[in-house]
Amino acid sequence: MLDSISIFRIIKTGAINFWRNLWLSAAATMVMTITLVILSVLFLMFAVTNYSINTIQDKVDISVYFKNGLVEDQIMNIKKDIETDPKVRQIVYTSSEQAFQQFKDRHQNDQSITQSLNELSENPLPATINIKAYNLEDYPAISAKLQDVKYKDFISKVNFEDNRLVIERLGKILKFIVTFGLGLAIVFSIIAVLVIYNTITLTIYNRKEEVEIMRLVGATNWYIRGPFVVESLLYAISATVITSVLFLPIFSGVLPKIAMYVNPSVTVFNQNIFNFLYLVLMVFAISIILAVFSTLLAIRKYLRI
Amino acid sequence: MGAFGAFVYYSGHYDYIVIKFENVTKHYNKTKALDGLDLEIHHGEFISLVGMSGAGKSTLLKLIIGEEKIDGGKILIDDIDISRVKKTDLPYLRRKIGVVFQDIKLLPKRTAFENVAFAMEVCGHRKDKIGKDVPKILDLVGLMHKKDNFPHQMSGGEKQRVAIARALAHRPVLLLADEPTGNLDEVNANEVLDLLLKINQLGTTVILATHAADLVNKIKKRVITIENGKVTIEQEKGKYKL
Repeated sequence: MLDSISIFRIIKTGAINFWRNLWLSAAATMVMTITLVILSVLFLMFAVTNYSINTIQDKVDISVYFKNGLVEDQIMNIKKDIETDPKVRQIVYTSSEQAFQQFKDRHQNDQSITQSLNELSENPLPATINIKAYNLEDYPAISAKLQDVKYKDFISKVNFEDNRLVIERLGKILKFIVTFGLGLAIVFSIIAVLVIYNTITLTIYNRKEEVEIMRLVGATNWYIRGPFVVESLLYAISATVITSVLFLPIFSGVLPKIAMYVNPSVTVFNQNIFNFLYLVLMVFAISIILAVFSTLLAIRKYLRI
Repeated sequence: MGAFGAFVYYSGHYDYIVIKFENVTKHYNKTKALDGLDLEIHHGEFISLVGMSGAGKSTLLKLIIGEEKIDGGKILIDDIDISRVKKTDLPYLRRKIGVVFQDIKLLPKRTAFENVAFAMEVCGHRKDKIGKDVPKILDLVGLMHKKDNFPHQMSGGEKQRVAIARALAHRPVLLLADEPTGNLDEVNANEVLDLLLKINQLGTTVILATHAADLVNKIKKRVITIENGKVTIEQEKGKYKL
């Protein structure tokens, strides 16, 4: 195996190769950077859209308002009845007192509301139950069931906000992003592989004499190959650094705003998917795979050992 | 042996075989480069390998350093069957064998010192060892005073001597010289030949492949003539006959 001094020399030679062909290196790094930027944008759009869908999906529910003057037992019976439906995931009951208290708490700083509330002789807010289903498709069915005659005397209103259209649209956008973005990413990955392949081939050509002599004096195969791999790793590292620098402002500036817009109660950095480090690591891994793959191809074809 | 003795392998006796070719064949497509070649070279010998262009001299040298693979027979170097040497172990075999070429192959952007040091660097030697050994080797080839010169600042003979110094960097058992004087005038060619003889005297086995009849006649050591891929004439203290 290679000892530390050989590893040091391999890295040094690779770095020298990188600097000697600075323009070629810059071109290889640029193409790699473009590929990584496309991948990152794709990744971010995917993450944001996916996040939005999840958030909106979570907001879909059915609110059932009961008529005034019902006994809590009656409401509980209906609740139990609905609960037997296997499509229902969760039911939350809010009594009219709780609703009134919540309303008061929410508006305690509003003088005019507090005053008018105090003037009320009785609680105007109805008791409600809030229903969540397992699947988005189940809401219309549940909603229809609540329109049944047997509930007619108890339920004043069933409120079902149908967000399915928005969700469907987002889903379509997501699908488009994935297919179009993935196609673009693949095309640019191929271009990056070709450019790095050519650059490494040129370096091999430039160092033909040196390689030949190394072989003759008994340098090991990996000692000869190593510098070319190091050179391509330097493209990957440079491209990752540039991409990260470009995306840092998006992460610190733009993304929090998007997340706030979609769901005001959550901050972006609580969401694992938006983690900047996560993106950098992903980009780095992809760039290394592309760089090493193209270098090994070039070495296989042009470096005689 | 003097101060340079440490750089050349010396066992003190001539009776063990460094290289053995047993019925070796080698084809290039349909042309036979070597056709059932048998050859034994003993430790400490100086062999002049002669023959016309295309007779198989270069093929023979390439087979020894594992550049080409044989199609039949067996080649033993220091009792190692080289067709059984794994590709990853070839570099270690090559460290036992020094090679010099007609076209010299020095790195133009490196000085004489750096060219010799390069051979040691790529094989993982430490800087302090390189700093100690290279001057000794350059001294052996008589070029210590030119250690900071670049190849273009040296004569053809001097460049070839640097190449020989580089070939000696790993203290090889065997030194192969493929037409080392091919591009040199008589004075320079004699300088190089004298150096090869000196290295041989210090104990390294030398194989010199050449066209130059006058050089071979001057050496007066074993001559092996190859014709059509076979050894046709073997002479002790021989002359160039073709």
